[in-house]
This record gives sequence, C-alpha cells and structure tokens, in this order.
Amino acid sequence: MRAGPTDAISLDNVNLSLGAGPARVHILKGISLRIAQGSAVGMIGPSGSGKSTLLMVMAGLERPDAGQVVVDGTSFNDLDEDGLARFRGRSIGIVFQSFHLIPTMTALENVAVPLELAGAADAHERAARELAAVGLGDRLHHYPSQLSGGEQQRVALARALAPDPAILLADEPTGNLDEKTGQQIVDLLFAKHAERGMTLVLVTHDNSLAQRCERVVRLRSGRVEQPAAAHAAMA
Amino acid sequence: MTSLASEIPAAGEKRQRDRAAAQAFRYALRELRGGLSGFYVFIACIALGVFAIAGVGTLSTSLTDSLEREGRTLLGGDAAFSLIQREASAAELAFLRTQGQVSTVSTMRGMVRAQDGRLALVELKSVDDNYPTLGKIKATPDLPMRQLLDRRDGAFGAAADGVLLARLGLIIGDRVTVGTATFEIRTLLSSEPDKLAGGVGLGPRFLIGEEGLRASGLIQPGSLIRWIYRVKLPDNAASEAAVEKLTSAVRAELPDAGWEIRSRGNASPQLERNISRFTQFLTLVGLAALLVGGVGVANAVKSHLDRKRDVIATLKALGATGDGVFTIYLVQILVVALIGALIGLAIGAMLPFAVVGAFGSLLPLPIEPAVHPTDLLLSLVYGLLTALAFALWPLGRVHDVPVATLFRETTGAEWSWPRRRYLVMMAVVLALLIAIAVTLAYDKRIALIFIGASAAVFLLLRLIALGVMAGARRLPRPRMTLLRMAIANIHRPGALTPSVILSLGLGLTVLVTITQIDRNLQRQFTASLPERAPSFFFVDIPSADGDRFDAFLRTHVTDAKIERVPMLRGRIVEARGLKPEELKPSPDAAWVLQSDRGLTYTSEMPAGSKLVEGEWWGPDYRGAPLVSFEKKLADGLGLKLGDSVTVNVLGRNVTAKIANMRTVDWQNLGINFVLVFSPDAFRGAPHTHIATLTEPTSTAESDAAIIKAVADAFPSVTSVRVREALQMVGDVVTNLVLAIRGSSAVTLLAAILVLGGALAAGHRHRVYDAVILKTLGATRNRLLGAYALEYLLIGLATAVFGVLSGSVAAWLIVTRLMNLSFAWDGVSAALVVAGALAVTIGIGLAGTLLALNQKPAPILRNL
Repeated sequence: MRAGPTDAISLDNVNLSLGAGPARVHILKGISLRIAQGSAVGMIGPSGSGKSTLLMVMAGLERPDAGQVVVDGTSFNDLDEDGLARFRGRSIGIVFQSFHLIPTMTALENVAVPLELAGAADAHERAARELAAVGLGDRLHHYPSQLSGGEQQRVALARALAPDPAILLADEPTGNLDEKTGQQIVDLLFAKHAERGMTLVLVTHDNSLAQRCERVVRLRSGRVEQPAAAHAAMA
Repeated sequence: MTSLASEIPAAGEKRQRDRAAAQAFRYALRELRGGLSGFYVFIACIALGVFAIAGVGTLSTSLTDSLEREGRTLLGGDAAFSLIQREASAAELAFLRTQGQVSTVSTMRGMVRAQDGRLALVELKSVDDNYPTLGKIKATPDLPMRQLLDRRDGAFGAAADGVLLARLGLIIGDRVTVGTATFEIRTLLSSEPDKLAGGVGLGPRFLIGEEGLRASGLIQPGSLIRWIYRVKLPDNAASEAAVEKLTSAVRAELPDAGWEIRSRGNASPQLERNISRFTQFLTLVGLAALLVGGVGVANAVKSHLDRKRDVIATLKALGATGDGVFTIYLVQILVVALIGALIGLAIGAMLPFAVVGAFGSLLPLPIEPAVHPTDLLLSLVYGLLTALAFALWPLGRVHDVPVATLFRETTGAEWSWPRRRYLVMMAVVLALLIAIAVTLAYDKRIALIFIGASAAVFLLLRLIALGVMAGARRLPRPRMTLLRMAIANIHRPGALTPSVILSLGLGLTVLVTITQIDRNLQRQFTASLPERAPSFFFVDIPSADGDRFDAFLRTHVTDAKIERVPMLRGRIVEARGLKPEELKPSPDAAWVLQSDRGLTYTSEMPAGSKLVEGEWWGPDYRGAPLVSFEKKLADGLGLKLGDSVTVNVLGRNVTAKIANMRTVDWQNLGINFVLVFSPDAFRGAPHTHIATLTEPTSTAESDAAIIKAVADAFPSVTSVRVREALQMVGDVVTNLVLAIRGSSAVTLLAAILVLGGALAAGHRHRVYDAVILKTLGATRNRLLGAYALEYLLIGLATAVFGVLSGSVAAWLIVTRLMNLSFAWDGVSAALVVAGALAVTIGIGLAGTLLALNQKPAPILRNL
C-alpha cells in the first residue's frame, strides 16, 4: 500500500509491541490505513484495542517496530527524534484527553509555545487571537490550575490549532469533561476543521461522536475491522 | 480540687490522644516501608552536619582530656613558677624546696655558631640534673642526661633538633659555640615531654645543661631569659588539693615575686585556649553545614509532601484531621532525621580514632581516642533540631490544604502561611538551637555574630530570589525564543529559582569567605614583606653597649634605618585596683593579662603609634610613673585615662597612671608595645635593648653576613631574621588554614548536595515539561539550551551575591577578628564564580539530560 498524492496519512503494515519479556504485548498488528487530506476520521474501538497508540504512531510519538508511516508527504522512517519534533511543530496539532498543558505557563504562554518553537515573531499576538477564537480572550494570563476543565481543553485546542497544522489529532478530547462542556468542545473542534480544511483524526469511545466524522475506522485487538463489520457493529 | 466526673473524661481524652499518637506512628512507619528514596539528600545533609559537629567535638574532647591527663608530664611537675629576666632568689628557691622536689629549666633565644662560621637562631633550653622529672626525652643516641650534658674535653654536651643539624650541616659529635661557650652535639633530639608547655618557638631546640648556659655569657642583667622552677610533690601526696595548697602557700609566702604560676591542671593554657577557640570555629563551620543542609531538608520535605498529596487527600477524605496528618508526617520526618543523625554520629565518633591512626606519631601529645557521649548527644540534638526547624514550615502547611485542592493539578503557586501554632513551634526550636549554640560557645560574641550573619544571609538570599524572579518577570520579552523560555522558567510559579539561589548562595558565600581569608593570610605571611618592614630584630643588646651597637650596625650596613629601644618584661598584676582575675576582660583583650608582656620607656612617642586620647608626657618629664596604653586593649580591659596600672618587673611592683592612649599599627612589624612607660618608671632596673634594622635592599647572603658580624662583635646578642620568623608563623597559619579548608569542605559538600537536591526536586516537572514541549515541536538541543541559559542566569545572579557577601564576611573576619589588613583577591573570586557556574549548569543539565532522553509516549500514556 503506497501513499497517494491526496493522502494526509498513510500507514502500511504497522506493527508495534510494548513492554518487555513476558509482559510484552503486541498492540498494533499489521495496520494499513489511508486518510485523505481534509477529511475527518473517527477512530473507535473498545479499551485496549490500540486506538490511542495508533494516534501516537501517527503523531511520531511512538515508533512502530515495523511498517511505513507517511504523514503529510513525509516518511517518519527518515526522521530522527528531533526531526520528528520539528515536523510535529510544523504540521501536526494534538489534543489530549488530559489536556497536558504546562502548569507553570499561563494560557497565553501555553498556546504561544509551538509558535515560538517554530520561530514565529508574532507568537504571542497569534496565540492571543487563537485563544480569543476559542472564547478565552479574557483568560490569557490565567494558569491552568485557575481554569475549569472545559477551559483547559479549549486552551489545548487553541495550542493545537495555533501553528495552523495540516493535521489535527484528538485523543478522547471529551473524556475528562462533563457532557455539556464536551459537546461545546466537539462543536468547536468540528467548526475549526470545517473552517481551516485540516485533516482531523478523532479517537473516541463515543459512537455518536464518531458518527459526526465523514469516515469511521474501528479497531479491535490491534487490527482495523473491515468497514462492513464496522457498520454492522454500529447498526 | 478535680472532681471525679472531670477526671473520667480527662482520662478518656488522654487515652484518645495516646491512641492517635500510636496511630500516627504506625501510619508514618507504614509509609516509610516503600523505602527512603526522595530522602537521600535529606539524610546526607543531616549526616554531614552532625558528622562535622560530632567529629570536631569528640576530637577536641580527646585532645583536652589528653592535655589534662598528661598535664603533670607536660608541666614537668605539679606546679611551675616562672620568672622573666631574673632568677629566683636564694630565699625563694629555698621556700620552693620546702614544698617538694624542685627542678630548674630556663629558656631563651640564642645563636649557635658552627665551626665554619655559619650561624642559626635557636630556642635554647637549659636544664638541671633533675630533668626530666617526669616523662622522658626522645633522642638518638639515647644517653643518660648527665652523660649528655656534662663538660668533657672543654665542651659541654648538647642535644640538638634535626632542623638545626640540617641548617648548619652538622652531625653528631660536631662542636659549635653559643656565646662564649663551646658545645658538643651528642644526640639528635626528637621530643621533650614538656615541650607543649613552652609554646611555639622561632627556631629549633638546643638543649644544654645549666652549667653550659652560665658559661656562655648570655645571662646578662636584664637578658630575656625565662626561669621556670617546677615543683613535684611526692607521688603519694600529689592530690588536687595538695597542688592547690602548694600554689596558695607560694602565693602567700612570696606575694611580690611576680611569677607566673601554673599548676598541672593548666599546663598549657595557651594551647587549651587555642583548642577551645579552634573548636568553636570548627563547630560554627559544622553548624553552617547543618544550616545549609537545613535548606536541603526543607526542599526534601516539601517535595515529599508534594508527592504525597494524593495520600494526604485520601487520608483527610477518610476522616483524618489536620493535626493527625501533621503528626503522621512529623513522625516520618523525625525518623528520617534520626537515621541521618545516627549515620553522622557514627562517622563523627570515629574521627578521633581515624586522626590518631593516621597522624598519631606526628601529634605533639599522646592522644587517647575515645567515644565521648556528651559531644555525640549534643551533635544529635543539633541535627534533630535543625531538621525540625526547617521541616516545620512545609509540614505545617499540610494542615490547612483543603482536600479538593489536593486533587487538582497544582503548580506550587498557592502560598500560605502555616497556622500560628506551627510558627510558634518553629520559633521555639530555633530559639533552642540558638540558645545551645551561644551557651556552649567559647566566645559568645562570635557565636552571636555567626547567628546574626546566618539569619541575614538567609533573609538576603530570599529577597534576592524574589528580586531575581520579579526582575525576570518585568524584563521586556526578548526576540530569541531560547532566552525567552529561559527567562520565563526563572519567574514561573514553582520555578527552581528560590531553592537554587538559597543553596548556591549559601555555598558560594562560605566558599568566597574561606578563599578570601585564605588568600589574605597567605599574602600576609608568605608573600612579600610589608613596605618599610625591618629585616632584623636584635634582642638582648646589653644597655651599656647600645650606642656601640648602633654605630657598629651603621658601619656595616649603609643607608639602613636603625631603631633601638629599651625592653623589659613584666606582668600586669593590678589595674584600676583590681587583680587580673577580677578584671573580666573582653575575649580579644584577655591575652594581655595571661602572661608577661614586653615593656619599654621613652620620652618620645614611639613611631607607628598615634595618640588618640590624653596627652604625651613632655621630653623632660621626670615625675611619677606614667603609662601610655594601646587604646583597643585598654577598652577591652575597661581601663580609662587616669586609671592606675601595676606591673611586676624583675620582682618589683611599679604602679603608673594611664596618661594617654595610642593606636598602634602592628602590621609595619616595627617595635611596638602595648604599654609604654615614662622615662624614669624603671630607674635602676637591669634591662637590655631591642633593635630593628631596616635595609633598603637585602639578600640572603648580605643577611648572613650581618648575622655573622653581629655574632662576632656581640656574642650575647640574638639576631632574628624577620623573613624567617614570618615563615615559621606562616607555616603554622598554613596548617590552620588547611584545617579550616577541610571543615569548610563539609559545608560546601552540603551546599552541593542541597543544590543537587533542589534541582532533582524539579525533575518530575522538568520531565513533564520536556515531553509536552517535544510533543509541540521542541528539539533536544533547544530545550538543553534553554535550561542551560536558565541555570546560567540564576547562577550568575547568585554568584554576584555570593562574592559580595563572602567578601564582606571575609573582610570583617580579617580586619576585626584577626586585626590584619584586607586586600580583595579578584582572581580567586572569579575562579569561585566560574566553578559555581560550572557546578550549577553541570548538575542542572545532568538531570535535564535524563528528562530529555525520556520517550514522550510512555509518559503521555501515564499522565
């Protein structure tokens, strides 16, 4: 399976095991997957099926034991750790379930980090705009501990969107939020996806959330289920 | 009266309290089952400080115990009566002989001349046939005393120190002359049992018999010779009471003899004082190590409690009270402190054994190492109190942190004062610590200065940390991302800045203080002599030969400056109507009363002195005796203008009124005296003169020629080359500095440990930050650069303070305590700063590299 010119993400026979000795577990088992540019893909599956690990592989945070990963036309096999970091800073935005904000930085500083790392001269101005765009224009100088869960996730979303990445990866973005706040974050996520035309990969437990995506990929025991089986399961 | 009804609930409450305490103890130990990781720096800090104090204490007690035990041997009897410039009269000697077995020893400086004409300054010691009444001399070959000292073939026998033999190229059997007598060197002297009682000399020992000394012609009226009469009581009647009775009887029978009386209990008061003074200094250095270590304790307790927030929250959610949680962690901290203190105690207790094992043969005193429980207990108390003093603040804050806050992600930004009761507890512990340190100090003033200075340094460092953070916050945002990140890391809540500045600042202050003192002492004693300093001192110039001596020097050394003054020795026996023991002098003036002092008389004010109070007597003054007193020492003795001072000179009491006060520049090494009398004060008293010779240029050869010429023309005059004398003092100072450096190394080690601990405490946050930043696109080099820059900026700010505060401390110690001039040494300060920066960045980056090498995925998965 070769990456096509319109593929944002292309995985070819990706295998990954974690742990050592008897505790070693084969997490991803020969996964091949193509995600088209500008599309929104929901990744669904039971706990332990390998969804989050697959997302980490797509982000270059986890290196597969075997297989090919090409993201936005760049093969990860050719990049070292620093190369991957630079690539992420330029092309990939990530939103985590636990927000992963830097607690010692204000909201504005958190959002400005990827821009500063990319050398943007107007990092703080752009960060302020991104925060205003997610409705936190009045919370720029608050520390994460001074923000609610929903606000923290909005900061994380603004941070992921700030460098204007080609790909946005979201790992259970509503997992730590109440239903209403979660709904607001999801609306915001899809609005930004539509507005900026970026590729969105969304890992979730929530079937209804996955259904808002153009395509749903279902994982089970480290393998991608065939679309028919997946539709049957969802039906 | 308490009713039964009120007793029952009281008993119930007590039971409940006991149960709660037992429970807290159980919980505390249960939590420690996981091991002591996270407490290693804490334990090491307490162990180091306790080790230093325990080691210094037990070593010092071993030394003083040995001094006490060997007192009789060191003194050469049960009591010693010493006179300067005169021998005991027949009546005095007769009375002493009624008290016990008397042996006579005399000491003075003299010149030994080899047959090739070379000369060397020696510390002469003449002994009688009873010597040594106690102990044994060590000499090779080991000869009976009579055989060693008697006159044979026109030469008296002598035992010489190896240094003298090497200096003059002599071997056993060679003949030398001292004054007008010839001596044959019959043995190589390596030790005398009574050497320590004599103090430090300027030359090697030359041991001769009394007959030989008398034949040398050195005993002139007023010669600077000390006669010591030792009285040994019969072994079966030498109790403390008997010794006391002996000294009292001599005092009562011969009140005006003017001798210095020592009993075996204070055989070497100067050495004892020096041990006490040095012990105090080293104990303070140990306390400094403990205080620095205290910062490590505070950091360790804080991060331990940070790690335990979930546990604390859970306990509180399950019904534990604030008091209960406080007690659990207090017990835990005390257990850990006890472990550290016991480790320090064990190593400290071994120090005397190690020192005797390694240097036993070099020590001038047979030391019996022993375990001294009182010293060990004291260091244990110091260790536990310090741990408590520094742990109570973070511990107290646990009480009031709400459960809800404990469950939230925090940054350490929230800052609250502990409840008043914990602050009171802290104050009590600190007060106890201060009270013990001051009460046990040899010089309470120095102990108080140390405590004040420590408090000031702590406060200043805290303020500097706040200042650096505030400054970093207000800096305009630099364009360079790296610099921006570094600056932001300095002022962020939970930043490492305060703990790094505190530990590094304390360490640097100590290091700069020590290196500046060190450099100044070395400059003072080993580098070039002060400008206008004399090259020679000549002592024991007979009064009648004074003018001839001046003329002689002028013909031999052209362009030289010659200064000559009369010199007597005398003891202050009364001042403003009080005996010396009633005067209560300040510690830095006490030495004036402790032994005989050099005295002079003159009609003109001596060079190098400045009149600061009163008026100088006129050149023609011939009235009642007046005295000019050195101002600082007069203040120390509580003396004022018009007060009377009585000195005993040659067994005669002379009372003079203080007419004026002078300040004296001791450092020009000219002839200066604490007490200068009016011309007629000592009329008729036999005395000699002392002279200095200041040459415009001098070489070793020209100096040797002068020594030879003087010895030829004036055999009884002793020449002291200033450069050599300073070298001798410098050698002693170098050894002291070495000891100071060694003990300061403990403090420095504590500071580095604390710094390492402070940086390690931030490691968890660093790993998290590094992983998130890498996820957002940061490369390792970039992160490394930002962290290095952060450590560099903090290190630089602290280094500036450390150099400033250490220099001020060194200046105070050198100028006020040591009474020497101070010159700031930029090179050593720069080296200290460079070293500190290297250590900070090195330790910081070592930890950071570990953080940077963490793979993001596993961390993100577990967060």
